[in-house]
Amino acid sequence: MIKKADIVLFILILAFGLAVSWWSLTTNTGGDKAIVTVDGELYGTYSLSQDQTIEVAQDEDHINYITIKDGTVSMAYSTCKNQVCVNAGAISETRDSIVCLPNKVMIEIQGSAKNEGGDVDVITG
Amino acid sequence: MSSQANRTADRGLKTRRLALSAMLAALALIFSYVEAMIPIPVPVPGIKLGIANLVIVMAIYKLGFRYAFTINCVRIVIAGLLFSGVFGMFYSFAGGILSIAVMYLLYRTGWFSMIGVSMAGGVAHNLGQLITACLIVSNVRLMSYFSILLFSGLFSGIAVGFLAALIYRRLPDMRI
Repeated sequence: MIKKADIVLFILILAFGLAVSWWSLTTNTGGDKAIVTVDGELYGTYSLSQDQTIEVAQDEDHINYITIKDGTVSMAYSTCKNQVCVNAGAISETRDSIVCLPNKVMIEIQGSAKNEGGDVDVITG
Repeated sequence: MSSQANRTADRGLKTRRLALSAMLAALALIFSYVEAMIPIPVPVPGIKLGIANLVIVMAIYKLGFRYAFTINCVRIVIAGLLFSGVFGMFYSFAGGILSIAVMYLLYRTGWFSMIGVSMAGGVAHNLGQLITACLIVSNVRLMSYFSILLFSGLFSGIAVGFLAALIYRRLPDMRI
């Protein structure tokens, strides 16, 4: 029932997936800024060291509350229907993100400037 | 005389295909409904078994691409209006169309069994949805979901393909 090509394809996809997850795991470090974007545009940048609640109110039907506490960020409240963002829990590492697709609100974590150079090699000599 | 008889038989066959397609679309819709009722305790959107895909795989093998494509579109539109909302329909379309295209291409090569076809379809479905999500939120960082969705699509695709292969062997070999 299973053909050779099935197994080859399975191994290829699996290897690709493992490579991507390995890459994203090894490049993760603790972040220190939360960047909030609404509909792709920057809404604000917040420090993770300061506990606070941010209100993102676009209009009466699109309101999100973002909580920063003990260095982690979570979506405390959202008016959206599916509540995926609220159920996502707290995030604290770079490249982590919480997305509320219905309200187009996105939170992502970034590191400080000095360990942000993950994409480019620093050592050139 | 014989050409007329041929035409009548042809028309009968067409009607039969139409009825079968309608039934398959209804079946796929029920599967979508059942799936929408089962809560999945994972904070990542898009992880599901995709049992509706069972019907689509079957339709590709039994009826061909055009019928399978239409059945899938009918299912997505009605399921979108009934359960997931118009917003969810966008994602379903992106996933559904990419998945069916990939599955049909792999099916046409003849190299893969139903399991391989369905596996690739599952991965393509999740990939299509993820790309749409990236376009809508206009941010590429969403790709961090990529590996999770890749694995979930891979394994649910295998499960569905296994099931499809079991059912396919037991179907009566009727002329459709």
